Amino acid sequence: MYPAIDTRALDESQACYHCGEPIPHGVDLSVAIGGAVRPMCCPGCRAVADLIAHNGLENFYQQRTAYNDRPLQQESAALEQYRVYDDPQLAATFTTTDDAGRVSASLLLGGISCAACTWLIEQSLAGLPGVTLALVNLQQARLDIQFDPGQRQLSELFARLEALGYRSRPFQTSTARQQSMAEYRTDLRRLAVAGLGMMQVGMFAIALHAGDIQGIDLRYQALLRWVSLPVAAFVVLYCARPFFTSAWRHLKQGSLVMDLPVALAIGLAFLASAWATISGTGQVYFDSVVMFTFLLLLGRFLERRVRQRQLFTWLDAESSLPSAVVVRRDDQWLTVARVALHAGETVLIKAGETVPVDATVCQGSSAVKEDTFNGEHLPRSVAAGDTVYAGTVNVEGALQANVLGDYRDSRLAALQRSVDVAQTVKPRLAKLADRMASWFVGRLLLVTSATALVWLQLAPEKAFWITLSVLVISCPCALALATPAALTSAASALRARGVIVRGENALESLWDCTHLLFDKTGTLTEGALTIALVQPLGDIGQQELLAIAAAVQRYSNHPVAQAFASIPAASNFEHVSYQVGAGLEARRNSVTYRMGSAQFCRELVPEFPGIPDGHHYWIGLCRERAPLAWIGLDDSIRPEAGDVINSVRRMGLQVELLTGDSSGQGPLLAHALGIETINSGQTPQQKMARVQHLQDNGAVVAMVGDGLNDAPVLGAAHASFAVAGATDLARSQADFVIVGGDLHKIIETLHKARQCRRVVRQNFTWALVYNLCAIPLAAMGLVPPWAAAIGMSLSSLLVVANSLRLNR
Amino acid sequence: MDSLYLLIPIALLFCIIAIKLLLWAINSGQYDDLDKEAWRILADDQPATPSAVDDEKSAAASKKP
Repeated sequence: MYPAIDTRALDESQACYHCGEPIPHGVDLSVAIGGAVRPMCCPGCRAVADLIAHNGLENFYQQRTAYNDRPLQQESAALEQYRVYDDPQLAATFTTTDDAGRVSASLLLGGISCAACTWLIEQSLAGLPGVTLALVNLQQARLDIQFDPGQRQLSELFARLEALGYRSRPFQTSTARQQSMAEYRTDLRRLAVAGLGMMQVGMFAIALHAGDIQGIDLRYQALLRWVSLPVAAFVVLYCARPFFTSAWRHLKQGSLVMDLPVALAIGLAFLASAWATISGTGQVYFDSVVMFTFLLLLGRFLERRVRQRQLFTWLDAESSLPSAVVVRRDDQWLTVARVALHAGETVLIKAGETVPVDATVCQGSSAVKEDTFNGEHLPRSVAAGDTVYAGTVNVEGALQANVLGDYRDSRLAALQRSVDVAQTVKPRLAKLADRMASWFVGRLLLVTSATALVWLQLAPEKAFWITLSVLVISCPCALALATPAALTSAASALRARGVIVRGENALESLWDCTHLLFDKTGTLTEGALTIALVQPLGDIGQQELLAIAAAVQRYSNHPVAQAFASIPAASNFEHVSYQVGAGLEARRNSVTYRMGSAQFCRELVPEFPGIPDGHHYWIGLCRERAPLAWIGLDDSIRPEAGDVINSVRRMGLQVELLTGDSSGQGPLLAHALGIETINSGQTPQQKMARVQHLQDNGAVVAMVGDGLNDAPVLGAAHASFAVAGATDLARSQADFVIVGGDLHKIIETLHKARQCRRVVRQNFTWALVYNLCAIPLAAMGLVPPWAAAIGMSLSSLLVVANSLRLNR
Repeated sequence: MDSLYLLIPIALLFCIIAIKLLLWAINSGQYDDLDKEAWRILADDQPATPSAVDDEKSAAASKKP
């Protein structure tokens, strides 16, 4: 278990009680939970927390170990969106009906952050009349639900999950998922068998070692050896098989990995012991063999489990698209499932909705927010003839558009595919353990042959057993455990601090990291427009100007309007109307006010001046016959960004800015933060190229990003971070996911990685020193088997204990 | 000491049974979700949760213990 979140550590007046994100200025939302009033950052969080509190599920908040995801704010009613799943044809693709007429369905859940979420979901669904079973599998983020279709509709269950703040969709069993589950069970079976085998063989071994010291009847010694043999044989053949196959596979490719000395040690020690048992001579090392196998399997199992849990928790890009769309068929608007659309049909995309498919606009004009593809939050204007892409958000007016093709042909799908491609080109740094192994194996073989040669001269009858004991003593257990133990320990320490470690060897890549690349929007900045400055053009004061602006913007969906959402609006504004691509118009006391582009204002006030500078996003405000103000907006820098960049610098890393934004914002921000290398206006492909260019020149590159458009480059970097609020696809590509959105966590992770490097080096040093002392003794024939067993276990325990220091 | 010849095979037999049981448990999925099960022991200590959690809040409220 991981410690529950210490909410006291956070300033409670600053962080949302539900999702842990900072509360924006001017937002005053709260929910009474278990007798205490808790602050909330947005209506979405408040709705979810309210639902939880009102249903007596407050305990969830005491039990959870991670903050919840911030719920998506969907304009359309959640239930309507899921109605399509009630269609029997679509439902049949992921549900089964049993003899009693009950329907079973599996749903994939997004946003499950800790075990308490499973409790919340199970409690909240199992209590619904008509639901007979609700079981959440945390590791797979899967909900198995059984219900009576007479009392419950599938869409209600989807809507219920949505109301609790979790996204869901039909669970499709992918081969990767099944394979990972099968591997997990195989690992566990091997571990269990090795553990039980170790106990048995260990029991016999204690009797044998005691016999070595105080004398034992030969026939009892033979008995104990003969019963140890089949148990050890089973453990070696079944449990230790992955070491043999991996060593052999790499050997065929000509590379020496840590599995090779491991396989050699296990194999030779077992064969020698078996020979000793059969011939009734020499020494047996069955206990060492079995214990060694168990310890290594345990190390690997734990390491893999830490990573695997996060592997499938996130949904792919397609799940961000609406499942239901409004389409025109036979002169009627019908709601159908998105997957049932055909090319050439006309769909209706209302304002505020996500575009479901790539389509050409045939009627209406609006603006679409394409941050999915370019990371920018200012929308692009579209009119008839323009193409809109799946995954972008229609912000202004309703559009009718002709479907170009299904999801597989969309630009979003292409982006997802490029992410998969990026994964395959990701350069892998040779693991430290494997570099050690290739060094170690050569030396070991040299020492062993030298021992054999010397003893053949001195005492040929002893040569075989002494040479074998050298091999067994040098058994690289501590060496093989050195990295996995440290990595696992560091990863769970990071998890407790709000950083999820996903990537294999990501920590190893990070501790050698030379370049840290940042994305701009949403990473170094907050990712939302805020008011930077107000330039009054008349004699009205700033407060009043903002109040007027807020009143005009009140009913707009445009990203600009969010900047004004927290300002108290002036009263008496009415007849607010929207001019697509231009701005807003409103009336107060029969005076017309306009807010928007310079041109739009000049239609009302011809003398309206030009924009003050190119650094901000300017909006004009005027009323009949009088220009009022220019209001400059920008995306404010995260307060901790400057600090973090300085710390990263002090750690000796090169910092670069990679941004899709081509405006003056990039260089301005870089200047403010002291970043010298800036690449602005970059497409995802150019970002990839930049990362690969650095990598080709020998740099170890870590990348910090958040958006879907960053996903390919996150996949290609040696190590990558996704900050909170990142899209699922970006998260699933990042090696580290920062849960709380605090950039300081990057520094913590870097420090932890370096600390991890120190511990791994200490472990290696210890393992080598142990071997250096033990091998000469063994080569002189001075080490009895019981001493070898004790020495080996102690050195392994020391390595594990040293690694556990990282957990603090 | 000759009893060893009987007792050790019996011990091995028990070991085989234990392995069989464990493999059965793993294969039937009882160890698939270690995180949740570890947590659930703690959750059982909680007071009984409302038997019905329904969309109609009034209905839920009336059934609350």
